[in-house]
Amino acid sequence: MRRHHLVAVVAALPCLVPALLSAQNTAQTTGPARLDSPFRPPVNFTDNNAAPPIPADVTDDRRVARNYPEQPPVIPHNIRDYQIGLNNNQCLTCHSRQYTGASQAPMISITHYVDREGQTLGAVSPRRYFCLECHVPQTQVQPVVPNTFKDVDSMISRPSDGGDRR
Amino acid sequence: MRWTLPDFLLRPWRTIAGPSRYLSLGFLTLGGFAAGVMFWGGFNTALEITNTEKFCTSCHEMRDNVYEELKTTIHFTNRSGVRATCPDCHVPHNWTDKIARKMQASKEVWGKIFGTIDTRDKFVEKRRELAEHEWARLKANNSLECRNCHSAESMDITKQGARASRIHQQYLFTGQRTCIDCHKGIAHRLPDMNGVPPGWSEASNDTNEPITRWLAEAPTGPNPHAAR
Amino acid sequence: MLDRRDFIRAQAVAAAAAAGGMSLPAMAQTSMIAGEDAQLKWSKAPCRFCGTGCGVMVATKDNRVVATHGDMQAEVNRGLNCVKGYFLSKIMYGQDRLTQPLLRMRDGKYHKDGEFRPVTWDEAFDEMARQWKRALKEKGPDAVGMFGSGQWTIWEGYAASKLMRAGFRTNNLDPNARHCMASAAVAFIRTFGMDEPMGCYDDFEHADAFVLWGSNMAEMHPILWTRITDRRLAHKHVKVAVLSTFEHRSFELADIPMIFEPGTDLAILNFIANHIIQTGRVNKEFVEKHCNFRLGQKDIGYGLRPENVLEVRAANAKDPTDSKPMSFDEFAKFVSDYTVEKAAELSKVPKERLLALAELYADPKTKVMSLWTMGFNQHVRGVWVNHMVYNIHLLTGKISEPGNSPFSLTGQPSACGTAREVGTFAHRLPADMQVTNPVHRAHTEEVWKIPKGLLPGKIGYHAVLMDRMLKDGKLNAFWIMVNNNLQAAPNTNNETYPGYRNPDNFIVVSDAYPTVTASAADLILPAAMWVEKEGAYGNAERRTHFWHQLVTAPGEARSDLWQIMEFSKRFTTDEVWPADVLNANPQYVGKTLFDVLFRNGTVDRFPLSEIDPEYENRESKAFGFYVQKGLFEEYASFGRGHGHDLAPFDTYHQVRGLRWPVVEGKETRWRYREGLDPFVKEGEGVKFYGNPDGKANVFAFPYEPPAESPDKDFDLWLVTGRVLEHWHSGSMTMRVPELYRAMPMALVYMHPDDAQARGLRRGSEVTVMSRRGEMRTRVETRGRNRPPRGVVFVPWFDSARLINKCTLDATDPISKQTDFKKCAVKVVAV
Repeated sequence: MRRHHLVAVVAALPCLVPALLSAQNTAQTTGPARLDSPFRPPVNFTDNNAAPPIPADVTDDRRVARNYPEQPPVIPHNIRDYQIGLNNNQCLTCHSRQYTGASQAPMISITHYVDREGQTLGAVSPRRYFCLECHVPQTQVQPVVPNTFKDVDSMISRPSDGGDRR
Repeated sequence: MRWTLPDFLLRPWRTIAGPSRYLSLGFLTLGGFAAGVMFWGGFNTALEITNTEKFCTSCHEMRDNVYEELKTTIHFTNRSGVRATCPDCHVPHNWTDKIARKMQASKEVWGKIFGTIDTRDKFVEKRRELAEHEWARLKANNSLECRNCHSAESMDITKQGARASRIHQQYLFTGQRTCIDCHKGIAHRLPDMNGVPPGWSEASNDTNEPITRWLAEAPTGPNPHAAR
Repeated sequence: MLDRRDFIRAQAVAAAAAAGGMSLPAMAQTSMIAGEDAQLKWSKAPCRFCGTGCGVMVATKDNRVVATHGDMQAEVNRGLNCVKGYFLSKIMYGQDRLTQPLLRMRDGKYHKDGEFRPVTWDEAFDEMARQWKRALKEKGPDAVGMFGSGQWTIWEGYAASKLMRAGFRTNNLDPNARHCMASAAVAFIRTFGMDEPMGCYDDFEHADAFVLWGSNMAEMHPILWTRITDRRLAHKHVKVAVLSTFEHRSFELADIPMIFEPGTDLAILNFIANHIIQTGRVNKEFVEKHCNFRLGQKDIGYGLRPENVLEVRAANAKDPTDSKPMSFDEFAKFVSDYTVEKAAELSKVPKERLLALAELYADPKTKVMSLWTMGFNQHVRGVWVNHMVYNIHLLTGKISEPGNSPFSLTGQPSACGTAREVGTFAHRLPADMQVTNPVHRAHTEEVWKIPKGLLPGKIGYHAVLMDRMLKDGKLNAFWIMVNNNLQAAPNTNNETYPGYRNPDNFIVVSDAYPTVTASAADLILPAAMWVEKEGAYGNAERRTHFWHQLVTAPGEARSDLWQIMEFSKRFTTDEVWPADVLNANPQYVGKTLFDVLFRNGTVDRFPLSEIDPEYENRESKAFGFYVQKGLFEEYASFGRGHGHDLAPFDTYHQVRGLRWPVVEGKETRWRYREGLDPFVKEGEGVKFYGNPDGKANVFAFPYEPPAESPDKDFDLWLVTGRVLEHWHSGSMTMRVPELYRAMPMALVYMHPDDAQARGLRRGSEVTVMSRRGEMRTRVETRGRNRPPRGVVFVPWFDSARLINKCTLDATDPISKQTDFKKCAVKVVAV
């Protein structure tokens, strides 16, 4: 075998790892499928699991890549005690257009200025008032069950480090 | 005719206006001194009792409204367990301002007697006014009560979040803003904030400039969803 | 042109570069923009989650879903989704997706205590059919049962109904919607003669006042909440009143917030009726023309097992549905007990607030929309409290017109469309018909082309009774489809789990993921989900909406429809129908149930050529005809012309849903009112045509306390419920990383003073314990839910923290729906 063939094969091997890990292959190659898959602790009715500590929030202010353009971004900063209600909307005091210069926060998407009829308004549409319906903070836990979603770039073999997160 | 004091006042007047007959100078001086100390101590103790959370929350108006709201906030429960009680923020530490505030507090006694905010609804109606008093006080003394615990000089910005670090450097350390400008609502729920811009906006410098609400106004024109 | 060697090398280098995070030179530029390879196929579908029924657009590429967004053309949501809806792309891709049937086996055969082993579909159905036939032979049709779902598509529910009633001749078919909508459905029928709301979501844009009765719309119906928010914030005169037993996110928009003592909603509603009457704001003309008054049965017990002391003590536990006619004056006298003082004392809501709330209803100029879900329905007097809210809308005539709307919200995507409209309840047939009515049965037999007298007239077991019968060994073959009942049912330690593990019983679970219910079953069948099959749902505003199959299910997973139809092939009529019926109808002898139920000339009349060539349709290809269309059109024939009219099948694939009754292509937004409802003739004004006399029934009921209140041993109220990030039992959303990370575990939300009094603080590990069971979790004192002292809240989405071990299996005796909102627990440090 020529060296550059060998290099190509070795370089291609990492692509096979996800396939090896998939549950379907597990059934065929490593014995009968267990209901308590290795990816999660057994959750059977009679277990009385100890409760893990309440995990801390992720508040490192780093923007997380979205899985697809339409996804509302997760909140990367602390929002403890931020008040949204009839009296005030603390999110908008940084993220609405007129304050973004001072706060350097990302402006809320232009879609948030559009009303139910599709008309763009001069200010934030009231239907978008409660930010937390769509935008959620994250805690530091790792998911118990990995997710095999592939974003469109992964599907068409383009470089991507978003949307393929476990 | 020469005016004299009425009889029932004349005798006591003569006693105190005249020289001491039976008691020695030392007794009177030291006794007066001791009595003064006791009086001062008693006065201060009574004053300090009115400076405790227990006293403040003995009125249900405070206990059920602002104190309840405090219980979930960072000034009540946080990592270090260092918490603020009512007087820490609301009563000035230095004596003259403290007494001034205590004299103002007679208005609160009036309010308690006449039930100005004795229901939740009444309290909510007045919330903006009460909040504005506190904001004005803190603005006037450069957030002195905040700075009693949180010193800008001792702030370790490397331990703060990125936003906090940046804004403190830009606005706080430069003296452009004071704590209360940005940290309204840190301990209790906010009132209707109509017309109150956030501290980091340029507009908050100019209180004459009205800020319109940041929400879109009601649409004009016929409602396309009206039943035909 | 790359040759093979270079191509392999380029791929390898690209893959290695991707793994190493390096970007490539020339290729990188074009990879960031949408070229031909990034073209996506977009198709419409309803959201998989709640009863709001938002429309989404789904993008697929190479047989996978790669993106979704809110459909701008869908009336319900006009482009918005909630956070769960925005992650629909990920719900089918949890790593532990079930892909093969799994049967408990030991020594190569089925064994109740065996390990799960993968088997083929044939082997699975062989064992299943064997167990079904055993149960039927030993104990008859009462011994088999099916627990279905408000997440079934319309044709899945319909096929199941046919199989159980006409196939196995049992009415032991109940949906998990019994746990959520039974009280509402029963009250609709008792009041109006027909199920489902008379208004629609358009009421949001017309109302002057919104009253949330125990529902937390901010988290549970987020898109409808945006419509309320839009209306409230854009129009200053609009008022929002929110009532609950604890403070939650919906209070953020509340002008009139009210926290009330659990169970006292009954008193508050009677007070409002009294207020309307005493202040002379009854719409006398409306009441005279359109309302009957009835005195309801009281002291009806709590739906517990008959030997329970509460049932024995209740005077009328045996006939809870009884009622007698009464006059308006008698009704007025009945509610006159409920003064504002009495209501304030019982409910602990201040008088001013109660009066402000009552005025929203009493003021004739205020258009008021009442909204409720589980607070009202999961209630031991759920039917009563539903009636009471209709009472106050009927007394004032505020009904069936834009903005005036008592609106029963639904939790599941098709509790309306499938469970209620198709009638997958133990007592129902399609189109609001009842199994106990011989005329209804005869009509059904006719449409289904089955022998007269075949359909059973006895009401089957309802959800809670099914679990009890499994435990008692009376129900022996049980099929659970699209639900997670071991997590969802009440008092699961004592009344659900024993039945599933009873060696006399064979439990089958069809699901997409290994849930806690599946782990307690004997046979697990892998199910296709959402856009892996062609489907239809019906949402809370009577909107039926369709979707095509967009991707293929993984492995051996098959849709519930395929499973039901395929299973029916395993039985012949001789095995399941009584001999006398077969003797009288010899043409059915020797036919399989598949032939009788699905190849009956109606269901199989549409050929494969009618399927849209753009889309796959696995079930139809498997059976050789367009099954969804055939089932739908047969089902629709029940309702057409009777006020349940559905549009033709093909229409629904074109539009973003239509609200029934759809007459001559036009949907109906408001029912029962002339000019808005095609079934109300000119000059009739308002007609509740579901009832023979065209009138609605106003019922008088008193306040009665809940089944179990806190006492010195168990000193806290337990309220269970949900959170925004997770839907139902979390089997889908807990497998989406972003949603899991946003809310990874179910906590017990307590007042900080209650925590302190028990030596607890935020983050303390505790056991939440009731007389029936316990679970371990951590304390939250500053979360989104802020209960008053004496109340704790625990959501049930977490399979590792099963709060339903603590709940009580008390139900509304009329609707048989469990009260998940009121029982007594204590919280102690671990």
